[in-house]
Amino acid sequence: MTRLTSRRAFVAAVGVAAVSGCLGSRQSGGSGGGPTDTVEPTSEPQPTATDEPEAGVPPPTADSRLVLPMTPAEISDRAVSGGPPKDGIPSIDDPSFVSADSVADRFEPGDPVFGLARGGEVKAYPQAILVLHEICNDVVDGTPVSVTYCPLTGTAMGFERGETTFGVSGRLVNNNLIMYDRGTEAWWPQVLATSLPGPWNEAPGIKSLSEFRLVWTTWEKWTAKHPDTQVLSFDTGFAKNYSRDPYGSYNPREGYYADGASPMFQALNTDDRLAPKRVVIGTRTAEGAAAFDKRTLRERKLLEGDLAGSPIVAVYDPELDTGYVFRNPDGRSFEYQNGRVADGSGDTYAPSELPAEQLYAFDAMWFAWSGFYPETALYV
Amino acid sequence: MSEPNHSAPAAPTHPGILTRTGAALSIAARRRDSRLVFLLAALSYLLIYLATVGDLAVGGAAGGVSVQVVEDLSRALASEGFFRYGAIAVVSAGPITYLFSPLNASLALVLSTLVGANVALTYLGSIQPRACGLESSTGVFAGIPALLSGAACCGPTILLVVGVQASATIITGFQLLVPLALLLLVGSLLVIGRQVDPDLL
Repeated sequence: MTRLTSRRAFVAAVGVAAVSGCLGSRQSGGSGGGPTDTVEPTSEPQPTATDEPEAGVPPPTADSRLVLPMTPAEISDRAVSGGPPKDGIPSIDDPSFVSADSVADRFEPGDPVFGLARGGEVKAYPQAILVLHEICNDVVDGTPVSVTYCPLTGTAMGFERGETTFGVSGRLVNNNLIMYDRGTEAWWPQVLATSLPGPWNEAPGIKSLSEFRLVWTTWEKWTAKHPDTQVLSFDTGFAKNYSRDPYGSYNPREGYYADGASPMFQALNTDDRLAPKRVVIGTRTAEGAAAFDKRTLRERKLLEGDLAGSPIVAVYDPELDTGYVFRNPDGRSFEYQNGRVADGSGDTYAPSELPAEQLYAFDAMWFAWSGFYPETALYV
Repeated sequence: MSEPNHSAPAAPTHPGILTRTGAALSIAARRRDSRLVFLLAALSYLLIYLATVGDLAVGGAAGGVSVQVVEDLSRALASEGFFRYGAIAVVSAGPITYLFSPLNASLALVLSTLVGANVALTYLGSIQPRACGLESSTGVFAGIPALLSGAACCGPTILLVVGVQASATIITGFQLLVPLALLLLVGSLLVIGRQVDPDLL
């Protein structure tokens, strides 16, 4: 259900004592592409203005291109319509935020949220909202970003967007959301994070987006660690039923999200080393890909692996029920001690702060990961 | 009891299909019992259709009665899937949430009216043996394709229920379900109407 706003009331002519409100009234102002003041969490939705994207301006990209499972044209050929047309799943382009206290009654402790701590800002994006929008074009700590979530592959990923915004193309590849940028209209499959030729831009140039980590965690854990977090408001400006997930449930986990349930569409590659919807924490670079079974990581706390011939280590963070992956080129030995990691020198570190290069990693359903990265290493 | 003679009236003076269907419908509209059958069938179909397309749901936090309207009313024209359009208001009543989409509601009304008419004529056929041929139950089932058309954000959720994996072909087929239902419902109404002999009404 949607929040009642007090800014503008609409009294409906119904024959009952109706409490009425208006969804989506927004304050204008601010520069969407530029820095904005940090917003203190309140119970009233606080807007984050997003400018209209400039035509022809692409999103910022990374220096190196990520590994792809086949040529860009071949990936485009494997795209299918998910049903809705372009922007049929509407991105949130004018998000507003409220304090955690003001919406605490709308969450169960185990409900998934995607947490983002960037610079001076801490925000939570509830899965219950993003499942119906998939993309939230926001400005965080002065940087224009897109917070994205694909329900069919169980992937929540952050991208810098520059002066453009991302929208939902309505197409899927390997069941994964294909975004498009509104500046050049190139296709960007979310997990691959790399531009592809599509019907609206047949030669976009093949580049990878500048990514950042979102933490897939629960309402209880995120608000315990960040009690002052801002929370994406249910007042999105759209008439949606955010109590209803059309695919299933994460709390408890059932329906489409159950471990053994089949993907909606056939995956690009089938790998039965794990059940299709089992969650892995995957990392991929220009050189290759590796994945750690999240359940195993939760139990063992530390897992060592290898990414394209180079040692890596995954560390479990019980505070947020997530994992971080680091390069470990010297093969240093780490030990898990009461929620911290010791490196043998007597120093201990928080799981997210090992003295090593942290690799971008994110949660994904196994079928999706192995479909995109058939050569992936898997550590269970 | 002798069978009614369908071929007795001379062909040139025989009313057309539309006339016959109209006559049958006017009889259904005049009778209180068939009107009740129409309303029950139409309302049932309306509720089921709105639930399958996701506009009507039960569950979530129960609250009072509220109506909230979006600022951007052009959402009403935004296509969100096969014959699915954006909602412009959230109506909550206790545990019931209804997303009011004018175009979805209009389509639902057309479909449910056709289903109601089909069921009402079928009902008349079952209680009026003199109106021969009205026992057809085609119309009861003609509305089913539209019920399957409810699509989620990505892919039709009905496939999750029946355990069938989607494909480009299936998705294309889903686009045809609502037009198919409309054609079947109109067609079955005309079939029933054609079987009505006005001389016996």
